[in-house]
Amino acid sequence: MFQRMIFSYFSFRSAAAACAISLTLLGSSLSAQDLDNGKKMYQICTACHGAEGHGNQVLNAPQIAGLDAVYLETQLRNWKEGIRGAHPDDTAGLQMRPMSMTLKDEETIKDVAAYVATLEAKIPEATLEGGDATKGQAAYAVCLACHGPDAGGNAALKSPSLRHQNDWYMLAQLKKFKSGIRGSNPKDVGGMQMRPMSMTLVDEQAMKDVIAHIRSLAEK
Amino acid sequence: MIEAYLERASTYAGDIDNLFSVIFWIVVLWGGLAEIILFYFCFRFRKKEGVKGQYISGEEKHQKKWIAIPHYLVLVFDVFLIAGAISVWYNIKQRLPEPDLTVGVVAQQWAWTFIHPGADGVLHTEDDIKTIDKLHLIENTTYHFELESKDVLHSFSVPVFRLKQDIIPGRKITGWFKPIKKGEWDIQCTEICGIGHGLMPARVHITSAYDHQQWIVQNTPGSSGQAYASASN
Ligand code: HEC
Ligand code: HEC
Ligand SMILES: [Cu+2]
Repeated sequence: MFQRMIFSYFSFRSAAAACAISLTLLGSSLSAQDLDNGKKMYQICTACHGAEGHGNQVLNAPQIAGLDAVYLETQLRNWKEGIRGAHPDDTAGLQMRPMSMTLKDEETIKDVAAYVATLEAKIPEATLEGGDATKGQAAYAVCLACHGPDAGGNAALKSPSLRHQNDWYMLAQLKKFKSGIRGSNPKDVGGMQMRPMSMTLVDEQAMKDVIAHIRSLAEK
Repeated sequence: MIEAYLERASTYAGDIDNLFSVIFWIVVLWGGLAEIILFYFCFRFRKKEGVKGQYISGEEKHQKKWIAIPHYLVLVFDVFLIAGAISVWYNIKQRLPEPDLTVGVVAQQWAWTFIHPGADGVLHTEDDIKTIDKLHLIENTTYHFELESKDVLHSFSVPVFRLKQDIIPGRKITGWFKPIKKGEWDIQCTEICGIGHGLMPARVHITSAYDHQQWIVQNTPGSSGQAYASASN
């Protein structure tokens, strides 16, 4: 009797899950995002990230072209809800924060993310010195599982592509993850996954090495 | 007058409003009088058959008095205004009453960090509570605030306190206020500080000492595994 209950409970669960999945698939194929609206809402972003989304180091704004829509959405939502970029020591994150507030609802966030995802990324210029790609390769063994052998990211693991990230931006993020400025909010699911990984990089030199390796993957 | 539109939540909000009212009514009085006389003269010296318009240079005594007398009267009114303004300015900006508590306010492009003393009641100690865009205060408590900027000029404005103070990078500017009303109100930046200037609003929460104590307990770093009181609180 008890076993049967458990069994029926599980079969109910999996049936429900199957339904939910097919509904989501259906939903996502139906609700194509409004790219025109996305482009319109992207106007304000051009002030820092540029019309092509290539970023501007002077303003601490990284290249956002080349990131996938799901990651972009997550980040924008996180900012808006105070999950990312709301730490008192996150100076650059706090600059991005009010910008996320200009996206008034979930639909707008999705439209902008969809639009940014269509932008053509470029390999950014190297700005850091002293990184050793060979040493970095060993350290990257840890990262590989999530960010991929070519650093192209893994959507299923919510891990973004690092191929088009500015080196200065990656260094800043790794430091922020390590010190808990990013990824220590309990609601930051992705950040909480990434944070312990940043701990494997003992110091700034190790960070520069792994970044040099990521760049070598991107340039291949 | 103003309190009908915007509540008064600090001890000196009333003083500012009164000064504002005095200025307003003096301006209304002189503005109104000038208009009345202007229209009266327009009517009295309107076009008439056989009367030629004349050019008045305003140098004769009986003409000059129309300028001189109001001029002196305005100066007399100014004495009242200046006396009022100095006393209010002294009370709010020059005098620093002994504080019960001190809070830190750090402005940056485009956010406010508020640093509250923790359970020990002392600022700049381990248990300080930092928040973004949310200032938590206790009703009927005299506060000092220490303003600092991480980057450019900003201005700390709390309309319900009738308080506005510029923030200058590189300096620590101290001032005071005493909240007298529980509630939640706006904090604004009132110095153009870049593209996000209009997007740096914050809120002040004024509560009873008891509620504030609860808030401290919930938000003290380390107490509940919390590294900082995030913006979502
Ligand atoms: C005032 C300048 C500014 C504007 C305008 C701005 N951003 Fe940003 N943005 C930044 C900064 C600075 C960062 C880096 C934050 C950090 O270092 O954590 C950033 C980061 C981001 C990121 C994270 C990238 C990553 O790899 O995780 C995304 C996504 C983003 N911005 C999207 C947008 C969108 C969409 C808009 C328009 C609604 C926008 N930004 C407008 C300054 C700006
Ligand atoms: C467990 C999976 C995982 C591993 C392993 C991992 N990461 Fe991440 N990483 C993530 C996730 C998830 C994010 C996105 C965090 C978020 O949503 O804010 C991320 C974000 C990042 C970012 C910020 C990207 C951006 O656009 O802001 C950098 C840089 C980064 N990782 C570098 C590394 C490096 C270097 C390593 C190896 C030392 C590594 N990661 C290992 C999952 C991982
Ligand atoms: Cu400002």
